[in-house]
Amino acid sequence: MISLTHYLVVSGILFCIGLYVVLVKRNAIQILIGIEMMLNTAILNLVAFGRYDKLNNGGQMFALFAIVLAAATTAVALAIILNVYRRYKTIDPDKVDQLKD
Amino acid sequence: MAYHALAAVLLPLLAFVINGFLKGKASGWVSTIAILLSGVLAIIVFNHTFNGGTIHISRLWFTIGDTQLQAGVLLNNLSTILLLLVNLIALPVHIFSMAYMGHDQRYGRYFTCLSLFCFSMLALVVVDNMVLFYAFWELVGFSSYLLIGFWYKKEVAIQANKKAFIMNRIGDVGLLIAILVLYSQYHTFDLIKLFGEGGLISQSYIKDGMWIAPASSIPAVWQYIACVGVFLAVCAKSAQFPLHTWLPDAMEGPTSVSALIHAATMVAAGIFLLGRAFPMFNTSELDVLAIIGCFTAFMAATIALTQNDLKRILAFSTISQLGFMVMAMGINAYASSLFHLVTHAFFKCLLFLVAGVVIHEMQHVKDENHLDIDPQNILYMGGLRKRMPLTFIAAIIGGAALVGLPLTSGYLSKDGILIQAFEWADTKSAVYMTIPIMMIITSLLTAFYIARLIFKVFFGKLRVLDVKPAVLCHISDGGWQYKVPLILLSVCCLFPVFSLNPLLYEHSWVYRAFMSAEHLERMNIYHTIIPVGLNIMVVVVIYYAYAVYVQERKMLPFAQNNWAFDFSYHQWYFNKAYNTLFVKPVLALSGGLFWFDRTIIDGFISLLQNILLWLSKMADVFDRYVIDGFLHLITAIVQYIGNFVRSFQTGRVQYYLLSMLAVIVAWFIFKTLI
Repeated sequence: MISLTHYLVVSGILFCIGLYVVLVKRNAIQILIGIEMMLNTAILNLVAFGRYDKLNNGGQMFALFAIVLAAATTAVALAIILNVYRRYKTIDPDKVDQLKD
Repeated sequence: MAYHALAAVLLPLLAFVINGFLKGKASGWVSTIAILLSGVLAIIVFNHTFNGGTIHISRLWFTIGDTQLQAGVLLNNLSTILLLLVNLIALPVHIFSMAYMGHDQRYGRYFTCLSLFCFSMLALVVVDNMVLFYAFWELVGFSSYLLIGFWYKKEVAIQANKKAFIMNRIGDVGLLIAILVLYSQYHTFDLIKLFGEGGLISQSYIKDGMWIAPASSIPAVWQYIACVGVFLAVCAKSAQFPLHTWLPDAMEGPTSVSALIHAATMVAAGIFLLGRAFPMFNTSELDVLAIIGCFTAFMAATIALTQNDLKRILAFSTISQLGFMVMAMGINAYASSLFHLVTHAFFKCLLFLVAGVVIHEMQHVKDENHLDIDPQNILYMGGLRKRMPLTFIAAIIGGAALVGLPLTSGYLSKDGILIQAFEWADTKSAVYMTIPIMMIITSLLTAFYIARLIFKVFFGKLRVLDVKPAVLCHISDGGWQYKVPLILLSVCCLFPVFSLNPLLYEHSWVYRAFMSAEHLERMNIYHTIIPVGLNIMVVVVIYYAYAVYVQERKMLPFAQNNWAFDFSYHQWYFNKAYNTLFVKPVLALSGGLFWFDRTIIDGFISLLQNILLWLSKMADVFDRYVIDGFLHLITAIVQYIGNFVRSFQTGRVQYYLLSMLAVIVAWFIFKTLI
């Protein structure tokens, strides 16, 4: 039988991969993918914990909301990346370091 | 009349003030006109007041406690005649000075000082209380100090004025003490109340060791202290032994100053003080006065015998004649003493002005020929009688008056003193006879030294020619500024000015003014024998001097290298003795104190200073390394932290995320471990 622990381990592994991608990749699109991956581990957790609320299915409900929101944020993020590209002619986050000023 | 006198006193003060602002040659005229007007006023005052009783006006000056101090003018015979005398002497001297000081760069300053002196002297004569008297007494000394040191670039002049001032200070302290003693006994400073006829002093007496006044009594020793104080003052001002040594040195001033101040007026202030304070002295104190005066007269006359400096001879002559006056006071010949004061003022001033003319001409000879001689040394003079006849005649008149030859004023006053000295000694024990005999000897010495002076200066041949035979000599009597004063003073040295009878001093108006009538008859043989005998001896002495100095016979009683000559030439070694006894110990003491100050006091101060320096250095080190170090440490830490934190701010999003991750991981590790 697949227990809660298995879900949590999978989501933990996925989270770590997502985090690694966010920290290491030289491409803003890949970073965005990493972020989405981390978000999805959270959604996975919500669904996994949903077994404790079978009456209302709160976990699944929140997962749906989160997916919708993730789509929205992804759109916003893509728009930001487009703008960054327009301005800097690159989407390598190492080269966009104006935040330090 | 008192206001006339006041105006006469204040005119020179006005001249002094004006000259203070004035530059150039006008100051001579300002001073001279002031003294001329003052003289006219003095004559008016004299005409109205002389023999006319006492005039005294005063105003309240200030009040201390219940003591009211009055300031005012007191005119009696004594002050009136001195007021006139000072003016009559000062006028020719002013005229003389205009030519004598004419080429001096500080002509204006000279007349400023001279006017200040005239003001103080005139005021000294007419003031009516001891406080003002003391003030003007000091002012006279101060202006004398200024004038002695007039040529302040001459080192000797500076030494001389310092000496005169210090010597006079000793007398001033005496006078101050006397004034304070008199005040504590009588509670008044008023001269009339103190010394007037029937005044407080004449009412007080000494009994059982107490000095009893009408209102109070104090131990008798205070009476002696007061008398010694007055006597010290007289000694200092009138150059009596033991404070006489300043007067010869004071000759470093201009000759006209010597004539006015150090021959005729200021030195007479001491006698004037004696005249004012005469009732204070009792018989034994008067005897001391007589002895001191007699000794001074004799000593100064012996010194004058061997001096070679023209002015110095006259200075010692002045000391000698002042000794005569003090002695005359001591033998109770009050009137004769003041009479001699008046006549002496004229003839000694005349002699000094003669000396001034001679020195002036010798200076010219020296400057024209670039000689290295002392223009005052009589050994370089000689034969001047043909070149400057008027000066010669004036010198003869002055000298004759000084010696006391008949027909001169000096005869009247000096023989009066001698006669009374003999009369006085008659009433005492035989020992006292030495005093009049000493005075006779002194008179003969006087005749010798003044004859030596006149013969050396005016007879024989000009000895400058021995130094350098080709000397150009333009020697003459000089301009009217020289001639007029000489003529004026010469006339005042002759008998008609003082008495219509040339032989009897009792007939002189000055003498009568100070003497009540009953003393006028000629009581004994002295009145005949002394003048006759003395004059015969004097003529012999003068002839002897003539033989020695003009005919140059070898008749000197002693050679110029034995002890007596040295003793006289070195002025009885008084200067050396004072130097050893007073000056050197004082200098040594001050040297010691200086050393003490330098080494101990300054050493202590510098020790303190070093300690303070050390302390502040420590504080500096503490501040620098501990306080500042602490602050630097804090800033360094802050800087380090800042740098450390700044290193995270790379501006790259991924680094920020990595940092956040690191912090969170660190947090969790931390939580787990603890």
